[in-house]
Order: sequence, then structure tokens, then C-alpha cells
Amino acid sequence: MNQFKVMLLVAACLSNAQAAKIKIVTTTTDLADIARAVAGNAAEVSSITTGREDPHTLTAKPGFIVRARDADVWIRIGMELEIGWEPVILRDARNTRIRVGMPRHIDASDHVIRLEVPTQRVTRDQGDIHPEGNPHYWLDPLNGRLVAATIAERLCALYPEHKAKFEEDLHRFERDLDTRMFGAALVDALGGENLWKAIAEKRLEAFLAEKGMADKAGGWYGTMRPHQGKTIVTYHRSWVYLTERFGLRGDLQLEPKPGIPPSAKHLASLVSDAEARKVRVILQEPFYTLKAAEFVAARTGAKVVVVPTMTGGSAEATSYLDMLDNVIRKVSAEL
Amino acid sequence: MKTTYLRTRTLVAGVALSFAATCASAQTDDARYQKLEDEVKALRQQVTTLQEQHTREMAELKDMLKQQAAAAAASPQPLGTPAATVAPPSLYDSLKQSAAVLVPQAQGVKGVDLDMSVVLDLYFYHDDTKEGMSHLRQGLSGFGHHHDDAEGHDHGGPENGFNLRHVELGFSAEVDPYFRAWTTVAVDEDGAEFEEAVLQTTSLPYGLTLSGGKIKSGIGRLNRQHSHNWDFFDAPLVYEQMFGAHGLAEKGLQLTWLAPTPFYLLFGTEVFNGENEHSFNVGDADALPAHDAPRLYTAFMKTGPDLGPNHALQFGLSALSGRHQMVHEDEECADGDTSILGTDFVYKYDAKRTHGEGDFVLQGEYFYRDMGLDGEGDWSGTPWTAKQDGYYVQGLYGFLPRWRGGLRWDQIGLINDLDTPEDGSVTYGDSSRLAAMLDWKLSEFSLLRAQAGRGWYDTEDGREDAWEFALQWQLTFGKHGAHDF
Repeated sequence: MNQFKVMLLVAACLSNAQAAKIKIVTTTTDLADIARAVAGNAAEVSSITTGREDPHTLTAKPGFIVRARDADVWIRIGMELEIGWEPVILRDARNTRIRVGMPRHIDASDHVIRLEVPTQRVTRDQGDIHPEGNPHYWLDPLNGRLVAATIAERLCALYPEHKAKFEEDLHRFERDLDTRMFGAALVDALGGENLWKAIAEKRLEAFLAEKGMADKAGGWYGTMRPHQGKTIVTYHRSWVYLTERFGLRGDLQLEPKPGIPPSAKHLASLVSDAEARKVRVILQEPFYTLKAAEFVAARTGAKVVVVPTMTGGSAEATSYLDMLDNVIRKVSAEL
Repeated sequence: MKTTYLRTRTLVAGVALSFAATCASAQTDDARYQKLEDEVKALRQQVTTLQEQHTREMAELKDMLKQQAAAAAASPQPLGTPAATVAPPSLYDSLKQSAAVLVPQAQGVKGVDLDMSVVLDLYFYHDDTKEGMSHLRQGLSGFGHHHDDAEGHDHGGPENGFNLRHVELGFSAEVDPYFRAWTTVAVDEDGAEFEEAVLQTTSLPYGLTLSGGKIKSGIGRLNRQHSHNWDFFDAPLVYEQMFGAHGLAEKGLQLTWLAPTPFYLLFGTEVFNGENEHSFNVGDADALPAHDAPRLYTAFMKTGPDLGPNHALQFGLSALSGRHQMVHEDEECADGDTSILGTDFVYKYDAKRTHGEGDFVLQGEYFYRDMGLDGEGDWSGTPWTAKQDGYYVQGLYGFLPRWRGGLRWDQIGLINDLDTPEDGSVTYGDSSRLAAMLDWKLSEFSLLRAQAGRGWYDTEDGREDAWEFALQWQLTFGKHGAHDF
């Protein structure tokens, strides 16, 4: 009889443990998708933003506070992207476990490759400058890979009972991402890690030539390879990680300064720059107005490409990898 | 996981074997039975040998790892020379190290983590009243009694011409793992005063937060906001008349509780000294009894359903009750209680475009005030009572990125029943106002606003209509805090 009771108790505990999924709340949909890929069934993941809004400006709604209150783990992009709303949510949620600096508060930017980290003193005269660097890093697939590893590493430390599963899921995600980036032929022959190392050290072409695989490049890299060196115009400096990774030049913006709306004077000089550099694509997110882009397009003959930079931003961008896929496809089609 | 799987497999194999054995014995002779038994024995032995070998190997491996770890600790490998026995660091690990170099190290203020901000607010104002808007608003019939006991101290009501609203200095910080604090000091040409000086807990369990100091009360919706966060350049009439232009800010304690419900539900209660000259005040006259503070108690509730990514809605209820005294002339005074009940709502539509384009906000608040005082001194034996209310409704629409237009309708005194020793039982008229505003937030740190209004006021000297115009230029420098809902 006693044994029966113990068994019941054990069964109850086990079923309880299985039912209690890790509640992960992320600030953006891309982080949610990566967290879902890594944590699999063990977690219930939701994002504060939907992928359709400007992540710089958001209202800290009461519903967000309730979700942060119940979160076991909080993941943010960091580098001050969410500075206008994350502090209010975290303060009002009263969840001490996910406060900044706590183990359950994961800053996904901890181990990414950063661009545009100011080396000099910044003033607001320069517009919305982020003192820790440009926070739009998830548009570099390598950073997506590093974010996944960062999340997996922390989740393994927090939930060692799921360690094997998290690591297995991480490797599956990495393999998917590697294949999309370089194509299956290269990944199978040379290994994803080696390819990423080579591209991070800017010696991928040499590496491929050395291995006799130069003509085997597929995936996003293969798609963008013929366009290396071309210039594109973007609305905000939110695409620098993409242009940097795929060898495009992305230093022309519709905004005169980050976060400052396009002015007539700036657009006039932009038109002559764009003509001189044979710009064929003007790239921007759906939440910006099209007026400035159309103004420049009409005078230079460039195509306006509107594409979301966040998962969920359009019907095609159903996952982080599909979002990147969509960007590469739409941009390369017009280059 | 894997071991369980192996065990299950062994078990299944065993069952299958024994089943096979049973069948065999039933069908054939002892020789075959014997043969099967031998086979099982042999298998068993093999498994045992394998198990032993595995255990031995595991132990050896563990020893090896331990030795390596010890060796590594004793003589760290110089970077870039991978050890032959250890796998090269993964891409993640090697980039992690290089990323650490890239991340800028703590820059000056980061170590202190004290956020400072300064708000400068200049406006040009013009109205066409006979004796100035401050004078008119202090004489609104039914509401105008409070200034008799104030020593001509009006809080920078707008004057025709240029006005510099107080310079607002804000400091805030996480103090330690247990508390945060912030102060807002308003400095003007006459001196400085605390708008807020708040100490707050950050680590209480069960969704509780305790605040103390001089607090902008959690009642209503607008009350918590500082003037630089207002959507219009001035406060609604109902706030101005019941709490003063800066709202209800008092010394005391506040306890709030975020209920563990699936939707947002916040309860709060406050204990304050009660020093608001408009509704909760103690007078200075010999005939009045003395009341020790705290004299003002409040309770409020805020709740809102989750309406998905594009919509947000919040309702609030507030109740206040406290001592109130008034002094008309030296010996004409009254003592009693004021209760105020309020309700508020806000609806926000998020168009998911940039910088507020297409966003819409509709917000309103209603307050009902019941003052029940008994005459003291020369008024002894007669009651002094007032039942009054007021509300406002405002809508804002972002018609371009960073540009908003808004309309506000304001009314007080729909109920305006007074019973006083001077005038007996009287029902006064109401006052109302319509305001239209246009603002342009050039960046998060600067704002330009134009506002025009037409008011229809019931004053002690009869009805007066007035136009008001304001042009506002507001800058914030230093740290710009995140906005509340």
C-alpha cells in the first residue's frame, strides 16, 4: 500500500515536471524563433514584438508586463535596441529572476560580432547612435549562429537536465543555417564551422580555391557572390551586417543621420552619389514611409525593395532562416 | 535516455528469448532445449564481459580527462597553438573570445549607473481674459474657495507672454539589489521644490512593491505623469481644480500588488500626510481642531485585457478619503472630510508604423468629489458641503511620423451643489473647454507644440468665455527614460 502511494507521488512529480515547460519571453521574433529551435519542446517561447513594428519604438503595454512577470527566461537583442521599452516592462513585471545581469536574463549580443562600435565620444548631434555598436546584428547569419550558441549555453547551465537535447537541437539548427548559407555540397565536404571561420577571417574564396571547391558554393553565399562590391542604398543603418557579410557596400542611407528623417537636401546629394555608384537597389523595412525611397528611385532608376528584417514581418518570413532567405532572394533579384 | 533505451531493448530481447525457449521445449527434445540454454549462457557471459570492459574504459577515460584538466590548469596553452590531444576550440568559443575584445569596456557613467535628465520647457502664451487666466481659474464658481487659504501661491499659472516652466531635474538609479530611487526636482525663479523623491523596493516577493517618500499618487491616469509627458501643454480642468496643476503628490507610503492573474491587474493603496490645498488640507486657525498626519488614504486599481499586438486597453478605479479643513476668514472656518471617487480608461491603437504614424489614443477620466465639512468658529453649527465632478476626454492621432494632432474636451461642475454658511444651498453652473493641439517630436529629446483652446467658464463674477493660445518648445537632455504605458 505504502509503495503504491510512493509510486503515485513519483508519477505525480514526473508528470508535473513534464507539464511545466520553461517559459521563455524574447523581445523580438527572431530571438523567439532561434530560442524555439534550440529549446524545442522543453520550452514555451513567445516574443514581445510581432516582427511588424519598429523595434526601437514600442509602447510597454500591460499585457507585456504580465508576460514578463511569468517568464522563466528573458532574452533581448541588447546593445540598447530596446532601451525605450524594455526597462519599463522589466521594472513593472516585478520578476527579480529576469532582471538585467541575472542568469535568466540573456543578452543575445553577448558574443556576437559587432559593427560600428564608436571609438570616439558620441553626442546626440550624431542622431540615434548606440554607444555599444549597431544593434541590428541578427542580419548577419553568423551572428544568428552565435546567438543560438549563446542561448543554448545559458539554457544548458540553467536546465542541465535538458543539456543533451539542447545541444542536439543547437547542432541541428547550426547545420540548417550552414546549409542555407553555403549549400549542402560545401557543408558536407568542408564542414560548417570551417566555412564560417574562413568567412569571418575574410579568406573564404582562398579556402574554397585551395580545396578545389570554388565552383561548388551554393546557398545565400553562392547567390550573393556575383554581386560582391555593388552598392545599395538603405533607409536606416539597419542593414550594415548584411552588406558586410555578403560583400556589398551599404554606406548610403536615406536618413541623413540614424533616426533622423530624410531631408530634401540630403536626398539631393544622395541622388548624385547613388548615380555615381550605379546603385540599383534601395532597401528598407516595411514600417518606414516610401516617399524618400521613391524620390531617389525616380531619379536614379534604382528599384525600391521593401523587405522585413524580422521574423513575422511578412508572410514569407515565417522563421529566422526564412526571413534571411527572403531578404537574400529579393535583394539579389534586383542587383 | 540512452541507457533506458538499452535496458528496454535487453528486456525485450530476454522476454523474446525465454518465449522462444518455452516454445522450443514444448515442441522438441531435450537436446535442443539444452542447446538453447547453452546459447543463452554464452550470450549472458558476452554481455557481462562487454559491461565490464565498458566500465573499465569509462573509468580510464575519466582519469585521462582529469589528468588533462589538471595539466591545462598547471600550464595554460598559449593561444593559437592547439594541443594535439584536445579538439580545437569551436567557432563559438573562439569568436566568444574575440567578441569580448570588441565589446567596449565600461564607459565612465556605466560604473555609477546614475541616470540624470534635465527638462527645459519654454512656452509663449496668450489669452483674452479680462484679468488673466490664473485669476479666472481660481474663481470658477463652486471650485473657487480654495485660494482663500493659500497665500497667493499659485503654481506658475500661465501669464501672457513668454513663460519658462520650471526646469525639471531628474535623477534615478538602482541603489542596490533591494531598492531603487528617483527624484524629480522642479527649479524655477522662486526656488526649488521636490515634485517627487521616491524610494522603492525592487525585490519584494508575491508581486509587491513598496514605495516611500514624496510620491505622485497612483490614482487616475494623468496624475503619475510629469508635465513634460503630458499630451497637451496644460492639465485638464478637473485635475487643476481638484488636485492642482501638478496633481496629487504627497509624502507617505504606497504599496502596490501585481495580482497573479492571466491578465494585467494591479492594486494599490497609499497613506499620505494630506497636504493638498485643493481637497485635503489642514487650516491654520484657532477655532479648528488639530489632526495629526497621516490624514489621507487612497486605493486604486488598474486592469486591462490583452487585445493582441495592435490594441491596448486599460481601466482604472480610484478612491480617496481624507481630512479637509478650510479657513474663509480668521474665525470663519470648517472641518471635516473629503472623499473622491474616480475612474479612467485609455485605449491605444498601434498601427505598427514608425514613430507613431497612424497610432491613435483615446483617453478619459472622471472624478467625483464630496466634501462634508462642519462649520467651526463663527460658522459653528452650520454645515459646509460640496458635491462636484469633472471629466475630460482626449483623442490623439499620429498623422505623420513624429507628428500628432489632438483634441480634448474638458468639463467640470456637471454636479456642482454647495451648501455653505455664506450662500446657503446653491447649484452652480459648469465650466467647459475645448482644446486642439499639434505637436512635432523632432527626436526623442525635443518637441514643438502648438495649442489653441476656447473655454466657457462659470465664474464668481458671471460667465466668461476665453480664447487661449500656446506655443511650446521643450527639450530633454541627459538620459531619456523609457515611457510608461
